[in-house]
Amino acid sequence: MTGSTGVLGALAAHLLGAGGLVLPHLNYSTILPELILLGGMLVILAASALSPRPLPTEVYATATVGLGIASLIASLVLWRDVTSHGAFTAIARSIDVDGFAVFFLVVVSCILIVAPMFAAGYLRREGITGCEYYVLALISGSGAMFMASANDLILIFLGLEILSIPLYVLAGLDHRREASGEAAMKYFVLGAFSSAIFVYGIALTYGATGSTNLAEIGAFLSRNVITSNGVLLGGLALLLVGFAFKVAAVPFHMWTPDVYQGAPTPATGFMAAMAKAGGFAALLRVFVSTFPTLRTSWQPVVWVLAILTLVLGAVVAIVQNDVKRMLAYSSINHAGFVLLGLEAATARGIAGSLYYVFVYSLLVLGSFAVVAAVGGNGDADHDISRYRGLGRRRPVLAVGFAILLLAQAGAPFTTGFFSKFYVVEAAVAAHSYALAVIAMGSAGVAAFFYLRVVFVMFSDVGIAGASDVSRGGGEIARAGAVAAEVREQDATLLGGAGASAVATLVAPAYVAAPELAPEGTPSEPEVSVSPWVTTGLVLCVGATLVFGIWPQPLVDFAHQATLIF
Amino acid sequence: MGSLDSYLPIFILFVLALAFAGLSIVASKLLAPQRPTSAKEAPYECGIVPAEAPPQRFPVRFYLVAMIFVIFDIEIIFLFPWAVVYNQLGRFGLVEIIVFAASVFFSFLYLVANGALDWGPVKRVRPVASEQSRTTTSTVRRVGHGTGEAA
Amino acid sequence: MSVHASWYLTLAALLFTIGAVGLLVRRNVLVMFMCVELMLNAANLTFVTFARALDDIGGQVAVFFVLVVAAAEVVVGLGIIVAIFRRKVGATADDAHMLKG
Repeated sequence: MTGSTGVLGALAAHLLGAGGLVLPHLNYSTILPELILLGGMLVILAASALSPRPLPTEVYATATVGLGIASLIASLVLWRDVTSHGAFTAIARSIDVDGFAVFFLVVVSCILIVAPMFAAGYLRREGITGCEYYVLALISGSGAMFMASANDLILIFLGLEILSIPLYVLAGLDHRREASGEAAMKYFVLGAFSSAIFVYGIALTYGATGSTNLAEIGAFLSRNVITSNGVLLGGLALLLVGFAFKVAAVPFHMWTPDVYQGAPTPATGFMAAMAKAGGFAALLRVFVSTFPTLRTSWQPVVWVLAILTLVLGAVVAIVQNDVKRMLAYSSINHAGFVLLGLEAATARGIAGSLYYVFVYSLLVLGSFAVVAAVGGNGDADHDISRYRGLGRRRPVLAVGFAILLLAQAGAPFTTGFFSKFYVVEAAVAAHSYALAVIAMGSAGVAAFFYLRVVFVMFSDVGIAGASDVSRGGGEIARAGAVAAEVREQDATLLGGAGASAVATLVAPAYVAAPELAPEGTPSEPEVSVSPWVTTGLVLCVGATLVFGIWPQPLVDFAHQATLIF
Repeated sequence: MGSLDSYLPIFILFVLALAFAGLSIVASKLLAPQRPTSAKEAPYECGIVPAEAPPQRFPVRFYLVAMIFVIFDIEIIFLFPWAVVYNQLGRFGLVEIIVFAASVFFSFLYLVANGALDWGPVKRVRPVASEQSRTTTSTVRRVGHGTGEAA
Repeated sequence: MSVHASWYLTLAALLFTIGAVGLLVRRNVLVMFMCVELMLNAANLTFVTFARALDDIGGQVAVFFVLVVAAAEVVVGLGIIVAIFRRKVGATADDAHMLKG
C-alpha cells in the first residue's frame, strides 16, 4: 500500500488545502431506478441467505419481475420530469437525466421484467437452485442503467464493469456443463481485455482534454479546435474498440458465437439484450454528444465497422446448423444495423438506433427463450433438426417463434420492419448510400436463415403424411410471399431490387435442402414449456405485433428521447 | 542536481553489492573443484527425492478464502480516504459509508450462509444441486473437502 | 531533479503493449490474467501522470476505481478458473476447446 499512500496524501492535502470540502448534493431521485434494482438485489440476497430452507426459483423470479416493474415506474416518473422541466445533470454533474437516458432506463426495465420469466422455467427444468441468476441479472441491469445515464467516462467505465462482471458469471452459471464454464472463461478473458483497452482510452482522453466529465470534454473541444491530436485520437480509437467488443461489432466479435452457444440459454438471451442496450447507450452518448467536433475522424471508422458487421454477421450465420450459434451471428448482424444510426450521427439516426435497440432486446429474449425450450433437458442439442415438425407438435410455440424470427428478418407488420426501416432511412438521409445498400443486402441474406428455421418448423417432409407435405408447401409459398413483400418495401426505398429478388427466389430452394437429408432423429424430442415462459413469450410476441401494426407510440418515444438530449 | 547527491551512498552500496555477488560467483567457479553428481544437481540438496509428483489439487477452500480476502482488502481503498477527511464530511460522509458498508455486509452474509468460510468437516448449510447423482464434479468436490462430508 | 511526464507516458504505453501482446500470445490463463492487470495498471500510470501534469485530482481518484474494478475482475476470473479446472490438471486455455473458435 506504500504506492497509494502518496496518492492518498495528495488527495487529502488537496481536499484540506482547498479550505473545506464542497459536498455534492445527492439527489437520490435521479438514480431511483438503479437504487431500486440494487436495493432489491440486496434484499433478495439477504432473504436467500437467511431463509431456513432454499426458496423455490419462482419466488426470486416474482421478486425480480416486481423490481423490474418498480424501476419501470420510477423511469416513467423521471420521463415526466424530463419532459416538463427539460434535461438536467445531477450528483456532481456525473449523472445526466435526459430523454436519452430515460429511454434506456425503460429498455433495461423491460428486459428485467421479461428475462426472469424465461429464466424461471429453465432453471426449474435444469434443477439449478438459488438466487444467483436473478441477483446477477439485477446487478447487470443497474450497470446498464448507469452506463446510459452517466455523464462521466469513469462512471461509464464503472457501469460497463457492473454490467459485464455479472454477465461473465451468468455465462458460467451452469457449472455442470463444461461448455458453460468454457464460455464464461472465454467471455471473461476477452471482456477484461476490452475493459483494459477502454480504460486506457479514458486515460488518454483525460490527458488530452483535462477532464473525464463528458460535458467538460465537450466544452473543451468546442473551445479548442483540435483536429490531429495524437493522444486524443488514440484515446478515441481505444474507446471505440472497447465499445465494439461489448456490442460485438466485427472485427471484435470473435467471442460472441462461442459465448452465446456455451452459456445457459436464458443467460444468453439476457446477455445479448443487456450488453447491447448498455453498450450502445454509452457508445451513442459518448460519440454523438461529446465528440461531434471530431466526427470526420470517427465516422469513417464506424462506417467500416458497420459494413464488416453487417456483412460478416449475415454471411456466416447462413452456414450454421446450430440454431443458438445462428442467432449469435444474427445478433452481430443486428449490431451492424444499430451502428448504421450511429454512422448517420443525426437526430434521426439516433432515434432509429434507440428504437432498434428496444425492439431487438425483446426479440432476442423471446427467441432464446424458445431455443431454451426446444433445446431440451441439459441444454444440449440446438441442432436445426430438432425444430423439424415443431409446427405440428407445438403449433402455438412454433407460430410465436416464427413471428419473432420474421420480425428479426424485418417482415412487415412487426416491429422489426420499422426498426430496419428507420435506421436505413436515416443512413439515406445522411447520404451514406453505399452503407444503406449494403445494409439492405445483408437484410436480404439474413432473411435466408430466419426463413430456413421457419420452414423447418412448419414442414414435415419425411416425417408426416402427404397432407402435411402440402401444408408445408403452402407455408413455403406464404413465407416466400412475405419475403417478397419485405424486399418490395425495401426496394421502393432504394434500388436494391435485383439482389432482393434473387434472394427471394433462392431462399426456398436453399431452405428446402435440409429436408432431403436422411432422418437423424427417429424419435421426436419432447418440448415442454412452463407457464412462466409462456407468459414471457406472450409479452414479447404481443409487443412485436402490437407495435408492429401500431408503431407510433414507440417511434414517438424514441424520437422525443433524442430531442431532449 | 543537489538531490542526486543524497542518492550517492545508495548507488555506491548498489555497486558494492553487485561487485561482491559477481566476485563470489567467479571465485567459486575458479577455485572450487567441479565433481557434479545427480544429487548435487538437484534443485535442493536435502530431504528425500520425491518418488512421484505431489498431489496437484489444493482444496478449493484456499482459493475461496483468498478471493474473499482480495475483495475485503480492496474495500479499504474507499475507507481510507473517507477516514482521512471524515471530520469535514460530517453526517453526509457517515451516511454514505454506512450505505457502502451495508452493501458489503449483505454480500458477506450471503457468503457465510453458503458456507464459503466454513473450515473443516462442517455440515453444508445448502445442499448443492449437482450432488444428486455421482458425477466427476461431485467426486472431485468430495475429495477436495475431505472425508467429513457425504453427498 | 524531475523526470519529464513523457517518460512516464512512454513507460505506460510500453506496459500496455506488453500486456496486450502477452494476452494474445500466452496460453496459460493465469498469465493472461496477469497481462490484463498489466494493462489496467498501465492505464493507472497514465492517469496519475496526467493528473500530475494537469494538476487535477480527478485522475488520481479515477485510479481508485480502476484498482477496485481490477480486483473484482480478478476475483471473478479466478472463481471461473477454479470452477473449470477443478476437474482438469493444468490451467491452459487450449484445454478449453469444446467450442470452436
